[in-house]
Amino acid sequence: MRKKHQNRLGQQSGAQALLLLPIYAVALIFVLGPLLYMIYLSFMSRAQVWGFVNEFTLDNYAQMLEPMYLSTFAASLKLALTSTVLIILIGYPFGYFMARLSADWKRRMMLLIMLPFWTSSLIRLYGWIIVFRSNGTLDQLLMGLRITDRPLKLLYTYPAVVVGMIYALLPFMILAVYSSAEKMDWSLLDAARDLGAGRIKAFFSITLPLTMPGLLSGVILTFIPSMGLFFIADILGGNKIVLVGSLIQEFLTKGRNLPLAAAMSVVLMLITTVLLSLYRRIAKTRELEGLI
Amino acid sequence: MKKTIAILLSLLLAMGLLAGCGGGGGDDDSQGGSGSDGETAKELNLYTWDGMFPQEVLSDFEAETGIRIYYSNFDTDEAMLAKLEETEGGDYDLVIADDYIIELVVAEGLAQKLDPSKISTIGNINPLYQGQFYDPADEYTIPWGSGIPLIVYNPALTGFDLTGYEDLWNPALKDNVALIANYRVVNGITLKTMGQSFNTEDLDQIAAAGEKMKLLAENVRVINDSNTQDFLVSEEVAAAFLYTSQVNAALAARDDLKICYPKEGLGFGIMAAFIPSKAPNSDAAHQFLDYLNRPEVAAKCFEFLGYYCTNKAAEEHISAELYDQLVVPETVTEGEIVQNISQEAEDAHAKIWNEFKAACGQ
Amino acid sequence: MKKQWKWSHAYLAAILALTYVPILLTVVYSFNESKITSVWGGLSLKWYRELFSDRDLREALVNSLVLALCSCGAATVIGTMGALGMEKVKLRANGWIEYISTLPMMIPEIILGMVFMATFSLMGLPFGMTTLIIAHTTFCVPYIFMMVKARLAGMDKSIEEAARDLGAGPFRLFWDITLPMILPAVLSGMLLAFAMSFDDVVISLFVTGPKVNTLPIKIYTKLKTGVTPEINALAALLLVVIIAALLLSNFISAQGRRRQKRAAEAQQAEAAA
Repeated sequence: MRKKHQNRLGQQSGAQALLLLPIYAVALIFVLGPLLYMIYLSFMSRAQVWGFVNEFTLDNYAQMLEPMYLSTFAASLKLALTSTVLIILIGYPFGYFMARLSADWKRRMMLLIMLPFWTSSLIRLYGWIIVFRSNGTLDQLLMGLRITDRPLKLLYTYPAVVVGMIYALLPFMILAVYSSAEKMDWSLLDAARDLGAGRIKAFFSITLPLTMPGLLSGVILTFIPSMGLFFIADILGGNKIVLVGSLIQEFLTKGRNLPLAAAMSVVLMLITTVLLSLYRRIAKTRELEGLI
Repeated sequence: MKKTIAILLSLLLAMGLLAGCGGGGGDDDSQGGSGSDGETAKELNLYTWDGMFPQEVLSDFEAETGIRIYYSNFDTDEAMLAKLEETEGGDYDLVIADDYIIELVVAEGLAQKLDPSKISTIGNINPLYQGQFYDPADEYTIPWGSGIPLIVYNPALTGFDLTGYEDLWNPALKDNVALIANYRVVNGITLKTMGQSFNTEDLDQIAAAGEKMKLLAENVRVINDSNTQDFLVSEEVAAAFLYTSQVNAALAARDDLKICYPKEGLGFGIMAAFIPSKAPNSDAAHQFLDYLNRPEVAAKCFEFLGYYCTNKAAEEHISAELYDQLVVPETVTEGEIVQNISQEAEDAHAKIWNEFKAACGQ
Repeated sequence: MKKQWKWSHAYLAAILALTYVPILLTVVYSFNESKITSVWGGLSLKWYRELFSDRDLREALVNSLVLALCSCGAATVIGTMGALGMEKVKLRANGWIEYISTLPMMIPEIILGMVFMATFSLMGLPFGMTTLIIAHTTFCVPYIFMMVKARLAGMDKSIEEAARDLGAGPFRLFWDITLPMILPAVLSGMLLAFAMSFDDVVISLFVTGPKVNTLPIKIYTKLKTGVTPEINALAALLLVVIIAALLLSNFISAQGRRRQKRAAEAQQAEAAA
């Protein structure tokens, strides 16, 4: 198939096709290989101590229909969607405004955003514990301002988990929106305004469509990981929210049930894929073709 | 901008190199490890959780024997098991892990028999910890620390004295309890309050424990395996069910906290060291075990580790203020160890645990 | 117009300030006397002393830096080439490859680490830095790929064509035209990839070998004894070093620009004379 294309596109693109070699190699050898192994595992039976027994079964998938596990998928989805929507609301304007700064400030902002992420995520989460714990920074601030008169016990609540999720994934959205807004032709916006379009109308007819590729990348980069992230919920939520990721971890470690963990990962992968392709259809971004 | 990144990258690289050279006075190149100093490379690949030994103890061993220790870590016992399965018992020379996983490691043929003649200090071990279920004839392991999960509470906040696990259900502790995240242990203490064993394989009993745990959910503020004592010290919670090292850390941080040896019965856990079946440097591993079980060395280690000392001869070397915390009181020699149980029972435990966690979140 | 600008600046500053709150608290608590990470017990430098006496930690830091640099570098090359190639050469398989390469993001790290471990051992690769770099490169590629791809989408290609018409070779074309155009995206992707690699623990735990410990592994595996403020001190130190490096690079590039400007002025003066 590849040969046919090369012939059609001529020698120039034959050389250019070499550009594709590394990513094809990585995707096929180091991603597809392990993943096929995972899918294979998911149809095998569990072993007594570790590993799997070479016996085909659909049990692992059947188990997933238990109400407990279904509700876990729902909980993961709810957290991922909540965080992604909030991340869009916070991150999109940030990336957009950032793209309007001077060249020097753009570079500075980029580094300033990433700086906190070059430390350990565990350490950053401990920072949030200091903020949220009873009589912590936030409590003292609120009590100092006389907004409340006693500790709020915010740590180990749902909002604390959402804050942690937003914090961990925000830069992905910001940088994705920024890198597509940065190349935007601002004169189009001015033209629309000159033609009498209101600020809101100009945004929806010019800015949003032009930055859609960035927004889409941002959503992919935030929504996908947020389906699997669970250590934030464990640490800031006090282990009280059961997410798919933590279940998989438990199956794999405490349960030593590799095939079940693999099956659950396959289901998670499928759900994420379906949701993203739905989103793509709704967002109608023709510029970015691809499967998801 | 291209230049900026180039400079940044080179600075980072320089930083890395600096950090690398900064330390090692006499160390040879840390990478590679294939020292061609004439004799065979003297090294020991130690595999256990981080922070199990004071740096001083490791450095002294290196200085004394010329063996370089490579200390690498795993987070869960099962991750260790997975690694050993994958390397077929190779790569690592000495592993320290929990009792129940060692039973599986031995069953899988991933551990080798120790050579007692190479461990002159083997007689210092407290016989209380020998002949356990995971190694009935003491062929494969040397115990290295034991623990009893206990309740620690802040009397000013609870308003009453706790005497047993049952007290964790007291409505006065609403939203005020911290638990460790080991489900066999937490489910197990629920079974204990019902007069059952930690290791029951009766599925009905386990299910009944699950129902009872849903009543505990109201009181649970946080479930967490690491640094659980912090919540007690910072008054985030009034009572906490903790591992031994955490119990000791909590008591060291605040002297107004009280400890409760639950009347329903205690759970015991033992950590032990073993040598994987194809360890590349099993001699060095024996040498290290010999060194560790010297009374002074063991005492130093356990003072640092905060688990109960499994070395009888070391007890007299433990400082007076830590003695009570590190030597199991005579009164509590009776305890039940959490063991591996049937797969069905394990699954039932996993199920009630997840239901319990979900109930806590509501 | 001016007023609107100020609002946007205030917004940027406010969000940025919020993201620094936990970091600053971490730094403050690195001077904490207490062993409990979240409770203040008085001022002390003892965790910095511990930090400097910890050889293993230093080695782990070096390993982490080497790993992050190598995998981030490799992923940048692979991801950027891939995004450019897919823009230029439309193969029917491109969509599939793109999908496959983003799959590592969808699967919880723990299972990914497991299957990576199994695959590497099947391939006969010894566990250590090599396996770490391969695994990290693999999960870093999609971050760079997605960034560059979004940037390339709908970009004005007439400049490239004009340059080619003027006889620029493919290498020249890339270096002088294409790269500057996609650079913001490449840099964004690199920054993310570096952070992802530098912070990864779960996958590393499974694919590393007996002699290569990374910093996050050391931090996360203190389960039996608990995390101490030593890691806060470490984070603080890292921040200081990174900030110093940034300031220095900023200073050097500013100098360079000034020199260029001066040279240009001198040339102009010469031409005038």
